[in-house]
Amino acid sequence: MTSATIAPPGATSAPGGATPPPPPRRRRRWSRSAIFGLVFVLPAALYVLIFQLVPVVYGLILSFTTYSPLSRSGPEFTGVDNYTDLLGDADFGNALLVTGRYVLQVLPITVVLALGLALLVNRPFKGVGLFRSALYVPHIVSLTAVSMVWLWMYSQTGLFNEILGFFGAPAQSWLLDSDSALNAVSAMRIWKALGSNMVLLLAGLQSIPKDLYEAARVDGAGRWATFRYVTLPGLRPMLVYVVAMDIIYLAQGFAEIYVLTQGGPLGSTTTVNYQIYTEAFQYNQMGSASAMAFVLFALIIGFSVLAVRGVMGRQK
Amino acid sequence: MDVHSLPPRGRRPFTRRAGSLLALSAAAALALTGCASGGGAADDGGDKTLSVWLPGTNQAEIDLVTDTIVPAFEKETGATVEVTYVDWGDISTKLNSAFAAGTAPDIFGHGPAATADFVVNDRILDLDDRVAAMSAEDRDDLAAALPGGQVDGVQYLMPLSLQGYLVMYDADAFTAAGLDPDSPPTTWGELKTDADALTERDGSGTITRSGFLAPSQAIARQQSFATFLFGAGGSLVNDEGTKATFASSEGVEALDFFTSLYTGDDAVSANLGEDYLNAPAAQQPLVQGTAAMTIQAPSMMQQIVDAAPDRDLRVMPALSLEGGDPAAFGGAGPGLMINADSEAPDLAWSFIEYMLSPEVSTEYTQGTGTIPVRASAADSDYAKNSPIISTFLEQSGNLQTNPNVVGWVQVRDALDKQLERALNGVAGSQEALDAAAAEADKILAANG
Repeated sequence: MTSATIAPPGATSAPGGATPPPPPRRRRRWSRSAIFGLVFVLPAALYVLIFQLVPVVYGLILSFTTYSPLSRSGPEFTGVDNYTDLLGDADFGNALLVTGRYVLQVLPITVVLALGLALLVNRPFKGVGLFRSALYVPHIVSLTAVSMVWLWMYSQTGLFNEILGFFGAPAQSWLLDSDSALNAVSAMRIWKALGSNMVLLLAGLQSIPKDLYEAARVDGAGRWATFRYVTLPGLRPMLVYVVAMDIIYLAQGFAEIYVLTQGGPLGSTTTVNYQIYTEAFQYNQMGSASAMAFVLFALIIGFSVLAVRGVMGRQK
Repeated sequence: MDVHSLPPRGRRPFTRRAGSLLALSAAAALALTGCASGGGAADDGGDKTLSVWLPGTNQAEIDLVTDTIVPAFEKETGATVEVTYVDWGDISTKLNSAFAAGTAPDIFGHGPAATADFVVNDRILDLDDRVAAMSAEDRDDLAAALPGGQVDGVQYLMPLSLQGYLVMYDADAFTAAGLDPDSPPTTWGELKTDADALTERDGSGTITRSGFLAPSQAIARQQSFATFLFGAGGSLVNDEGTKATFASSEGVEALDFFTSLYTGDDAVSANLGEDYLNAPAAQQPLVQGTAAMTIQAPSMMQQIVDAAPDRDLRVMPALSLEGGDPAAFGGAGPGLMINADSEAPDLAWSFIEYMLSPEVSTEYTQGTGTIPVRASAADSDYAKNSPIISTFLEQSGNLQTNPNVVGWVQVRDALDKQLERALNGVAGSQEALDAAAAEADKILAANG
């Protein structure tokens, strides 16, 4: 019986059993342009690291602790308690439902209306520039300022009740009734989001090759068929972007709630972000507020992925 | 030089100079992004510099403090005072961030309700010894205000003014409704009866003029409830601050009364939940004629009088619910606290003493339209010339405030939430108060 030594692949034996010296390692050199590239990128990279990634990681760590910023002792590790507490928190459950309802009742309307407006202003007519600008103006005004204006319009002596009064209808408590408050906030938000969505969808419409419309016309496609088989597929990438961004922004609704309703009446407009604010800055409970923030983050990611897949899947 | 050390053509090695450049860039980036060390009160010039944060953005107060009070103090002491005005809505957030970052000011203003949380976290100085060192005359003069700045009997906050909420009424509306404006109601029951007579409705029965309005929006509705509760002889928590006591028969009576204002066939108040309290003077219900009586604070009362100079608007003394003594929500108003980490605590105390000196204190409360913190201010021209302020000063003994206990903000919100349920008919008074008390007890126990 003979025995054999199996050498690892790549291993070679030198005569006399001596191992040859490893090849000299080449020092990695950086070109001048690479160094300068690094120098130019560094500030932005540090900015992202310090002001975006570090706070997110710190927030994640805080979510496993109990911590008040007033405390001198710093965060105390509590494991997953903050997350398990949320499971039985009826207020948090209500906030999730309100946030979901808010997204679901604003998103479809604002996207469909914005698409209709984009189709309208995608054709030349007198004053189209002014029309586009007028629709875009709400987007460039701060949400807080817009909310202040709408707060007055919704008040008992505001514009909407004046109009109702003009037609002999009784005044409504738009923001004071738990049945109507979220709808009133949603109406404001739809108005606010229309302009930016319209501009994005308009850009999407204008990127669809004209040849496709020509071909559809030659094939005898009607308006609906052209819209369904040319416009909509061509618009899909932009539509995905608009839907995803709207979900992200709406699910984080705060400023409008803070100004218009303060989460009331009866919690009917308390979104998750508003509850996070209360927990963190009214009660100084940074740990549980961070846990809420990460639950919201996970839900936003989940719904955004679903929405993107929903639109892109059909494209496949 | 062997072949391995030769740089490739057209390229240069990572030299020390380049490394220095990289390090310099990193330092510059850090500096630009505000992460370099430095700043804070300690670097601003030792104990001759004071940083002060005052809550509120009232322009009259800003002008008075910035242009008159601070320059006079600086001249007297040789110190430099840097005052920052922070919107009320942001003061807690900014203070929390500043404490966490170690950049909190030497002195800051806040409401008494926030004091206990600062105390339990060892963030503010115990002022007992300094108050004890004041003259007996000064302490007596400030006696109505000082307890509101105490936690467990220890002075931490020095109130700059008193606060309070009384009923303002339209005397002309009283006369038109056949009521005697010179004999306003003395109990909430009488007020409700008068409010019935003052309430106006349209053909559909909708109230077009409220006979009486009590604040019913978030937070303020807890204060309205407290007014009725105190007037019924009830209390919010026990003396030790460990148990809620508002779910009592007095609490139920108070909440029943509050609810009856807004609901039922004999309702006298419209627009449940609307914040009229903070509306501009010109939009106040008394000015617009959409209410005949409203609960209000003194500064807004004065603005209302200015906005409707032709109206005969008057202020009622505190009222009681049947069985109780006259009482109203109020007491110590916002005041000043000294940061426990201040490097100039003596100068900080000097500033507070200066703000509370008789002349400056009266000037300050006159400028802000608030109730003077010193009893002796009753003899000042400010009080003598203002029926509103003189009424509040007369009633200062009937003003009762929220307790200074740790976790009060959460207790208040738990109570507020249940009050809202009762006011909207979702829960009965006893049920709502029991639920609020159970939640409050848990919060107090967790913070006890």
